[in-house]
Amino acid sequence: MSNRKEVRAVAKDRLAEVLQTWEAVIGLEIHTELTTLATKMFCGCPVAFGGEPNTRVCPVCLGMPGALPVPNEAAIEATVLAGLATNCRIAAWSQFHRKNYFYPDMPKDYQISQYDLPFCEDGHLDVDIGAVYGPPQPDQESDYATRIGITRIHLEEDTGKMVHVGGSEGRIAGATHSLVDFNRAGTGLIELVTEPDIRTPEEARRFAQKLRLIWLCLGISDCNMEEGSMRVDANVSVRRRGEGALGVKAEVKNMNSFKSLHDALAHEIVRQAELLESNGTVVQETRHWDAGAKRTSSLRSKEEAHDYRYFPEPDMVPFEFAPEWVESVRARLPELPDARKTRLASDLGLPVHDATVLTSDLDMADFFEEAARIAGPERARQVSNIMLNELSMHLNAAGIGVAASRISPAMIAELVGLVDEGAISSKQAKDVFAEMAETGEAPGAIVELRGMKQVSDTAVIEEVVERVIAANPGQVAQYQGGKAGLLGYFVGQVMREMGGQANPAVVNEVLKGKLDG
Amino acid sequence: MAISEEQVRHVAMLARLTLTDEQVVHLGEELNSVLGHIDTIQQLDLADVEPTAHVLDVVNVMRPDEVRPGLEREVALRNAPAAEAGAFVIPRIVGGGDEA
Repeated sequence: MSNRKEVRAVAKDRLAEVLQTWEAVIGLEIHTELTTLATKMFCGCPVAFGGEPNTRVCPVCLGMPGALPVPNEAAIEATVLAGLATNCRIAAWSQFHRKNYFYPDMPKDYQISQYDLPFCEDGHLDVDIGAVYGPPQPDQESDYATRIGITRIHLEEDTGKMVHVGGSEGRIAGATHSLVDFNRAGTGLIELVTEPDIRTPEEARRFAQKLRLIWLCLGISDCNMEEGSMRVDANVSVRRRGEGALGVKAEVKNMNSFKSLHDALAHEIVRQAELLESNGTVVQETRHWDAGAKRTSSLRSKEEAHDYRYFPEPDMVPFEFAPEWVESVRARLPELPDARKTRLASDLGLPVHDATVLTSDLDMADFFEEAARIAGPERARQVSNIMLNELSMHLNAAGIGVAASRISPAMIAELVGLVDEGAISSKQAKDVFAEMAETGEAPGAIVELRGMKQVSDTAVIEEVVERVIAANPGQVAQYQGGKAGLLGYFVGQVMREMGGQANPAVVNEVLKGKLDG
Repeated sequence: MAISEEQVRHVAMLARLTLTDEQVVHLGEELNSVLGHIDTIQQLDLADVEPTAHVLDVVNVMRPDEVRPGLEREVALRNAPAAEAGAFVIPRIVGGGDEA
């Protein structure tokens, strides 16, 4: 384990070193399945994940001769919504094209896609890079924001899925034959292409994470990277710092997590720089990321000579979007993560860091707003604190999201209220939290059951303080002789006597009064 | 604008067609005749004619996002040359010696 960590640390240092002399130029292509729609892109077959093969198919998505596609209105609205959320210009006039190529998972032998008239063009996203989310990465010197241009977002249809039989580990090489399941074929798929504005693996990761958050916020996809509903491919090249001309690029595929995206790019940048430093040349090709071996390798496909012969899809008429229609879609845009972050910081007085972390997870943000609503805006800060500390630690340890937790916003609000009203100390609150997480009991009931009430009664505390002072004459003399640090010792003694239930602020005050006076 | 034999072979490869040398020559002549006809059309002065995106003067044809019944699996697989485990069977994709 420690050895693996070391290997990773070395790899990170190597990337930082390479980036001293080389600049990486990265563009992303991100495909997202419109999984929240009821039906596929061009037919009425239902959209779902998994299930028995070929049980959600019809003549249209099987590419039967004579079957005619009819575009799904909701898919087109979802694409326009995505474009508006990423500052794109929405085309007044657009249409579908046929992209011609042969592959067994595509039944028509062409994919209905968009070519020179996509629905959305010329957008951008501003991405925060920095320690705000966690420890800084080696390829990142400090907190900064960078604007990543979005070339286009277009709508197309997904392919089927294949299982290769007879080879080792389901690989295509060595397989005797393959099985095709067309359940996924024809599912609406949006493809977003960025400008080559990305300079580090960390920027690529942040961009993809932010995009995922926006798509989730729009409700257009579940964006599950492991199930392939969001797929990120990257074009990468390197050039010496200060050089204007672009280097030869390679396309990297098969990154099915944000960590894979970061690691694959880091590996590819180092590989290309080392190749060029040893007088080699980068070959323009598609490379496959192997997360286990932590390296990319060439796909060496014979199908590389792409000649898609795009032409307008004759089975569907063009689209003409009236400005009023575009505005009616814009009116349906929900509050986006950036706006929500700003609102939580300004209206509820959360530190920007806290607002950023809370709004980087939709469920956490919803949970927070509900808990803060119940607790009252003046306690929002405490709600946020307990969520970012105890709750986050608990969720990480349990490996679950907040939506799957048995802790409810009302429970957090109640716990914050108990502390704020002085019924329990913040130290006791941690114990109540732990029990609440384990049993799902309400905090008030736990406090009752455990007799955890905090004692703030000055008379009761005074009595104990006097006893402690009487029992420790030596320490009292030292304290009064100038060892102010001993105050903590007395506080500890009083707390122990009172089973941890004394209000620490009152104990401090009473002790100071007796000892200093 | 004449099409070369090499271009004929390239188009045939893209369409997964195996052509004999005689067919390459013959189809080359036919394609050249088609292209010649297009050349004739190219000579027309169309400066004042709006480009036609579609033969129908209709836009924005869409359907609501509602599920409609599809095909039973047995029906979907009925015409397939081979089926296995509810899936369409296709012959091996990558030939011997290739690395995927």
